[in-house]
Amino acid sequence: MMAAVTSAPARLRTPRAVRAVPLSAARLLRLELRRSVMPWILPLIAALFWFDSYRPSTGTAALYGLRTFWNMGQGHTIIDFGPFVAGAAAWMGSRDGRRDMADLVTATAWPRWTVQLATWAATAVWAVAAYLVFVAVMFAVYARQGVAGTPPWWWVAAGAAAVAAFSAAGFAVGAYWPSRFAAPVAAFGGFLAMALSSRTGFSHTTGWAQILPTNSNGNFDGSAQANAGIFYPWTPDLPVARIMFLAGIAVAALGLTGLPARSGGRRLRCAAAVVALAGVASAWTAVDLASTARLTTHGMVIPALHDAANDVPIRYTPACGRAGTVPVCVNPAYRSWLPDLTAALAPMLAETAGLPGAPARAAQFAAPYPSNNGALGEPVTLGGQPLVLRLSLGLLNMPGSCRLCVGPAVQKGFAGQIKLLFAHAFVDAGARPGSPAQQAVQAALEDTAGVPFADQTMLLTMTGTPWWGQPALLALTNGSESGNGPGPLAGPVYAAARRFAALTPAARHAWLSAHLAALRAGQLTLKELP
Amino acid sequence: MNVEISDVTRRFGRTQAVAGVSLETGPGVFGLLGPNGAGKTTLLRMMATVIPPSSGRVRLLGRDPGEYGPRREIRRRLGYLPQSLGYYPGFTVAEFVEYFALLKEMPPAQVPQAVAAAIERVDLGGRARAKLRTLSGGMLRRVGIAQAIVNEPDLLLLDEPTSGLDPEQRVAFRALLRDLGERATVIVSTHLVEDVGAACSDVALMEAGKIVFHGTPDELIAHGEGTGAAGDAPLERGYSAVLAAARSARAAA
Repeated sequence: MMAAVTSAPARLRTPRAVRAVPLSAARLLRLELRRSVMPWILPLIAALFWFDSYRPSTGTAALYGLRTFWNMGQGHTIIDFGPFVAGAAAWMGSRDGRRDMADLVTATAWPRWTVQLATWAATAVWAVAAYLVFVAVMFAVYARQGVAGTPPWWWVAAGAAAVAAFSAAGFAVGAYWPSRFAAPVAAFGGFLAMALSSRTGFSHTTGWAQILPTNSNGNFDGSAQANAGIFYPWTPDLPVARIMFLAGIAVAALGLTGLPARSGGRRLRCAAAVVALAGVASAWTAVDLASTARLTTHGMVIPALHDAANDVPIRYTPACGRAGTVPVCVNPAYRSWLPDLTAALAPMLAETAGLPGAPARAAQFAAPYPSNNGALGEPVTLGGQPLVLRLSLGLLNMPGSCRLCVGPAVQKGFAGQIKLLFAHAFVDAGARPGSPAQQAVQAALEDTAGVPFADQTMLLTMTGTPWWGQPALLALTNGSESGNGPGPLAGPVYAAARRFAALTPAARHAWLSAHLAALRAGQLTLKELP
Repeated sequence: MNVEISDVTRRFGRTQAVAGVSLETGPGVFGLLGPNGAGKTTLLRMMATVIPPSSGRVRLLGRDPGEYGPRREIRRRLGYLPQSLGYYPGFTVAEFVEYFALLKEMPPAQVPQAVAAAIERVDLGGRARAKLRTLSGGMLRRVGIAQAIVNEPDLLLLDEPTSGLDPEQRVAFRALLRDLGERATVIVSTHLVEDVGAACSDVALMEAGKIVFHGTPDELIAHGEGTGAAGDAPLERGYSAVLAAARSARAAA
């Protein structure tokens, strides 16, 4: 027992005012924001974002669904941010350990966990703010370029949640492993996670894998994404589940950092454990929800999250033009393609005018999502009374605005595709290649409308052409006649088509008037063509 | 009493760093001397509430640091300079000191003034906006002292505070210690006996985890007189004599 030097009583101090806590926290956050390493890595992310997220997207048509397919649907914005954010967050998380500051911080009144949370918050604020700014700039550029439709805000929110999750996971790695190698390891781990997510996304179109942030088999699948946010609102079901999943990962990671003994008192560590478990529960629930997702005509629907209000079509006033005497109306988002569309339809409508199967008008309809067997719907159909030419342009390869996507070749391809699909619908071949006689008449109608026989094989391979075009192409490629397609250009189908095309317009018109019903029913053979 | 320690031990695996230390002290400057590995730093870390004792009883500022609420109150009124002071190289001097002022839960309105005063007291007023990475080792040590005193602590724990300081700064620092000791309990762990002689009113000497001497510097000097113990100054000879006696007793036991 040692003697005391003096025995003066300890001074008492007034307990700290509770209201000072938010102010202190705000000032602490300001300090951390000023000295975070995250801003140093942002120029690198900006360059990557420009080359990987923005530039490739400009190659598609000026519709939000198409423009954002690459960067939001396939998650390239997340891929650009995630690994770097994880690395920078790991660097910040390992800071106290690397800098030998753990004792000093532990000996302060703030529980070490809350100090770590302030450090993480600054890191996450930088990362998420940068993500939102980059996306906002990209969308502003899109707006200046006249991109039509509605931006996929829910997918933007899912991306922000992903960035926050990467920052939290990276921070936890750094907090548990305070080494200079924590940052590169966390960054590589983030990259690996993204690679696995993308790879799984390509092979899993249903089930739990829908939860992965770079799985594009949700609202962004097939070609119908062009109509999301145009005819129907973006369905938020899957993004909401992904936000739950990513937020759960973030919360669980942050909870884990509060578990070590020096993080704080017993109560605080219990709270950290509860937080971690809540995060795991949120992520687990989200995976469970995603496994119930099903594809509908409007997008990916999760029954437990679905709001019927999202099935209500967006009201719009159509933009209309005329192809000859026939009115052609499209969604205003497609207004820029209306001249090309009417120009392509005019010769076909002139050829078929007055026939019993000729449409009275043409109108655009929402493109349905692919059915579960993967087959695309028919982009052009005839239906109704009086007959309406129904155009689902969202299923087609709309001419884009990139350097390689404009110009006569692409516009000619789009016009030819419209003519091909019209002729196919007119002979009523449906979702099949059609009978040889139907194929011959279809080819002849295209030829008379300005698509030479030699160009027709290329049209069968264009993006947006339904699956019936593929066996036709196979038949042509194999150089043999096939029941599934028109066969080679020198074959009997094209021979009959040339004969029919060589008739005078009046003769073709007269023959079609007399035989159209039988042709559509598939009752005619090639020999019965004139 | 600001510090009441009773039969405290601390083990790290098979190593007993502190072996039954008892100590009571109030305001004043208390010197903790001892060779490397004597257990000074471990004892200070326990007093700083960084690590709990393996056994024994610790009360600081009249409170039990084993409980969360009292520990937090102790930490608000504690200043601590660890032996190996880390720092955030990107922070400025003022930011670093402000950071710890906030972590010590100082009222936010008082923080700017307190930060400026602490920086002035360690004579770094002209370098307040300098980044820590640009400072010398001695300057960094003074920044560490500034963060320790920014909250005007009632209990100030300094582990090797003068290492890296130039002679002029050491003299100034001793004056600062005496000033702080007027109202607070200042415990200085060091192996530089001249610091103890110049600033401390009370001194303890640790060896192999135990306190082997506790008294005034004059009493320590007295232990060395006429013993022929090694040392250039009277205090060093007293230090050597006490250590030699403790080691002999330990060997005999």
